[in-house]
Amino acid sequence: MSPDQSNPMKENQGLVAFQLSKAFGENLVLQDVSLIFQRGKVHAVIGENGAGKSTLMKILGGYQLPSSGTLALDGKVLHFTGPKEAEALGIVLVHQEILLAPHLTVAENIFLGRELRIGPFVDDETMNAKASALLSNLGSSLDPRARVENLTIANRQIAQIARALSGRHDFIIFDEPTAALTPVESEAVFTVIQNLKDQNCGIIYISHKLDEVKRLADTVSVLRDGKLVAQQPANKLKAVDMAHLMVGRELGALYPPKVIRTNSEVALQVENLIVPPSLNNANFVLHKGEILGFAGLIGAGRTELFEGLLGLRPATGRVSLGDKFNSVFSSVAAAAKAGLAYVTEDRKGKGLLLNLELTPNLTLSTLQQFTNAGFIQHRLELAALDVAFSRYDIRAKSHDLDAGRLSGGNQQKLLLAKTLQADPSIIIIDEPTRGVDIGAKKQIYELIASLARSGKSIIVISSEMPELIGLCHRIVVMHRSQLVGTLEGSDINERKIVTLATGTEKQAA
Amino acid sequence: MKRRNFGYAAAAMVAIATGAKAEDKPVVIGVSIPAADHGWTGGVVYHAQRIAKAIEANYKGVKVIVKTSPDGAAQASALEDLTTQGITALVVLPHNSDELTNPLKKVKAKGVFITVVDRALSDPTINDLYVAGNNPALGKVAGDYMKANLGKADIVIIRGLPIVIDEQRQKGFADAIKGSDIKVLDSQFGNWSRDDAFKVMQDYLTKYPKIDAVWCQDDDMAVGVLEAIKQAKRTDIKMVIGGAGMKEMIKKVADGDKLMPINVLYPPAMIGTALELTAAGLVNKIPVRGSYILDATLVTKDNAAEFYFPDSSF
Amino acid sequence: MNFAIKNQFSLKHAAPFIALIGLILLGSLVNPHFLSYSNLIQNVATRSSFIAIIAIGATFVMAGGGLDLSVGSMAAFTAGTMILFLTANEQDAGAGIIALSMLLALAVGLACGLFNGLVITLGRIEPFIATLGSMVILRSLFTYLANGGSLSISPALKEIYAPVYEGSFLGIPIPLLSILGVGAVAAVLLYKTPFGRHVIAVGSNEDVARYSGVSLSRVKVLTYMIQGLCVGVAVILYVPRLGSANSATGLYWELQAITAVVVGGTLLKGGQGRIWGTIAGAFFLEIIGNILTLSNVNVYLIGAVQGVIIIIAMLIQRGINRR
Repeated sequence: MSPDQSNPMKENQGLVAFQLSKAFGENLVLQDVSLIFQRGKVHAVIGENGAGKSTLMKILGGYQLPSSGTLALDGKVLHFTGPKEAEALGIVLVHQEILLAPHLTVAENIFLGRELRIGPFVDDETMNAKASALLSNLGSSLDPRARVENLTIANRQIAQIARALSGRHDFIIFDEPTAALTPVESEAVFTVIQNLKDQNCGIIYISHKLDEVKRLADTVSVLRDGKLVAQQPANKLKAVDMAHLMVGRELGALYPPKVIRTNSEVALQVENLIVPPSLNNANFVLHKGEILGFAGLIGAGRTELFEGLLGLRPATGRVSLGDKFNSVFSSVAAAAKAGLAYVTEDRKGKGLLLNLELTPNLTLSTLQQFTNAGFIQHRLELAALDVAFSRYDIRAKSHDLDAGRLSGGNQQKLLLAKTLQADPSIIIIDEPTRGVDIGAKKQIYELIASLARSGKSIIVISSEMPELIGLCHRIVVMHRSQLVGTLEGSDINERKIVTLATGTEKQAA
Repeated sequence: MKRRNFGYAAAAMVAIATGAKAEDKPVVIGVSIPAADHGWTGGVVYHAQRIAKAIEANYKGVKVIVKTSPDGAAQASALEDLTTQGITALVVLPHNSDELTNPLKKVKAKGVFITVVDRALSDPTINDLYVAGNNPALGKVAGDYMKANLGKADIVIIRGLPIVIDEQRQKGFADAIKGSDIKVLDSQFGNWSRDDAFKVMQDYLTKYPKIDAVWCQDDDMAVGVLEAIKQAKRTDIKMVIGGAGMKEMIKKVADGDKLMPINVLYPPAMIGTALELTAAGLVNKIPVRGSYILDATLVTKDNAAEFYFPDSSF
Repeated sequence: MNFAIKNQFSLKHAAPFIALIGLILLGSLVNPHFLSYSNLIQNVATRSSFIAIIAIGATFVMAGGGLDLSVGSMAAFTAGTMILFLTANEQDAGAGIIALSMLLALAVGLACGLFNGLVITLGRIEPFIATLGSMVILRSLFTYLANGGSLSISPALKEIYAPVYEGSFLGIPIPLLSILGVGAVAAVLLYKTPFGRHVIAVGSNEDVARYSGVSLSRVKVLTYMIQGLCVGVAVILYVPRLGSANSATGLYWELQAITAVVVGGTLLKGGQGRIWGTIAGAFFLEIIGNILTLSNVNVYLIGAVQGVIIIIAMLIQRGINRR
């Protein structure tokens, strides 16, 4: 389905990109990429972080101009000067980040900036009715009067899609729409996409989740280093093939082999931990050298459990690190002193100072290591950054970049490096690979496994079941603020996790 | 210069407590004045409280409630509170004429005897009694003195804030020196503040190599002017004339300070004059209605002792 | 803020200094006396010391994401306490008593800052409201101390104390030396210590700081205490100038300090602090006033010209930063 090279603009229906290139300074991020997107089809674009996907999407959505090359819609050449023009032609981009005003209702958000009016007054009734129609058209029964702050992440994503689709929409670009969703929650988004496809919309789908791509897409295009390296029908590709095409080499097994634990020494024991209102009475142990998984739906209380344990939320309970029991930690600093470290799931909101450079981020939790007589030694910090760059394979154009300018995978590696700077013996990692490309994912898995091999004890909280199954020695499953079961050995499989996590255990048994 | 002041709430509570004690229809005089936001208003507060005590001691059965307000809006509410307590007469130094004319009209409608001090209302029929200093004369007396004593001279002026009082003083001064050999080099605002006057004077000294005299219309600003001259070690300035009768400045005049030969009165004690007249009118039934314009008295070495109140805050 | 050496000389960081130089050039065109030692150093730099030093403290507060509106009233209250102390010990007038009164000023400033910090952290009250409250409280306490009028030290004491404002060392006025000294200490504290780094982290993103094990309360309280200490230093320089304080003392200083900090390149929303920029900002503001008095701008329009110059300076700075 490459565009007809002789006269690509005139003869192809649909949205055509022809020999697009984009350079930032000397940095060529997109080279001679030609693609055709057709109505009624789902066309997935995959690639590692930095492969040029977002640049391509921004050009298609009118947010950026190409350095060279042409765009055409149904044979007409396009010259966008901004996203408004693209939207007017029915090309809309659904952003990955949720960009809604939390205190407004769903309908108010959908019509934000283009409110329907009666004279000078806002016409809430019509807007609610239209929003309702729009949502049901997408296969959602979301109440347009609900305030966004009270919605689940999945429903916020739906609201965001509805907002993008409130105008004309022939071609819709989805930028990782399920990045923040659990597999169950993602289903709602897939339904929406299926509905749109049935309505003859062209879907351009970007995702790191290759199983989703496999399931949804008709065609898969693979970008690597700004170039189109492959384009094939989705039914001819397996997820593992896609991964190979993306990284351009044999990836090998995604998950490192599990090491059989021989040491049964308890590293951490938690008893009667209560974090109101998110967690009732949790009890569990973590062994030395173990990777313990925590599975569950969003809202099951997984993150809250560990935030309570570390003094980030009010909590009660008993915690022991070997010899004697104490109450929960009073602060992150107290936990760090005891050798516990927590890597937050919210990298941008709670993990990194995006407007600061890499060094202050790396050393924030461990500044004492870098002082001499109370003064920070910048030289030591830079040396530590060099070490972190090579140890964790962090890739950045320069060392004095702001953290916010790194790609998701490199941000995650920086966050891990920051946490490990304190050399903790127990490491709790919440969503270790959220929004991270496949290459970086593999590196993070290897890092986790090697930490466990070296005797560290690790807790992994994740919404991605394959990740937990591939990494963990044992998996604790949570459902509605309770620990509902622990799986081990051959019991670790997707079906068991899902039945426990959704509370359908009884019916299943 | 406007600042909210929690002190006002406390004052209101005290006032309510004392007001409640009143029996068999005593004469109650309410006094509403600005809070002490600069030296002169500080003096007003001091004298209001001093004369209030004296009146309560001298006239049997007369109660005086003094309330201070940080700005015009607060003063309007204070007036309502005072009226609710049932006052017979009100002595008021309004923050500004425009904002308070209507609230005072309402007080008047309740049959309260109204004495306005210093700042005239937009509607002069409201006040039964009007007591004020003479702003144009404050400028004129200073101007006359300079005209008589300087001959050909270059002077600089530091004004207060751009409000009516400042304008009247300025005009009085300008009229007085008309036709003389006095040349006004510059005229800038010092906001009736010592610190701001200090800055303006420093800059004048940089800008003009020779200055014969400074007129700064207010003694607070004179403090800053004198300090700037002293620090610059300039000897060309022959006189600095302020005004309003601040105790430190009156003392300088009395001591024969060369730089400060005179002062022109614009006494904050005029609030006392108004209080005494009001009380006398109500209790002794003597006719007091009318306007009283106090002289802008020229204070010299010879009469300074008369106007020196070492205990006043101003 | 800058962590990398090479960034230190970037255009972005130089913006406030470029603006300052531009203004000085403008001044030299307006009046030939402008570029003189007595005007620029003895008068302008010296009298900008109060705002400059207070603004250095405000740089910490604002870099940490806070705000302190009480500094003007705090200065008046501190000056009042200091003057009362000096007056009470008049019979022992001498350098010893003056030194003691300086310590008192620092202690009072520190205590006021501690109060602000605790109300904001323990009381969980927005800095704007908390410090607006202490602004009114401290102003009222000063009025009470001064009995509604002014407080002055005796001429004899003033004579002894005056050199602290008027004196100079190697031709540099003591207030200017104080600015540079306080600035140097502040720069080391903000750029070279874990505490300073924590201030930036808290101002940049409180959650990230908390999740990284930084104690938000401790950091915030300390920034307000530093602010209080800076007010104390400013008062030590202020009292010997006129030897008195009255209700106009410190009026609008909070606005001037905040303006100096922002003109100096620190963001109002926190997460970044520029000590030397702040000092340049304070000079900038004082020089505008000086130039306008030295020029022949219509006296009623001075405020407008002042505002326009500040806005132009900020626009240029934003323009440079956007590149």
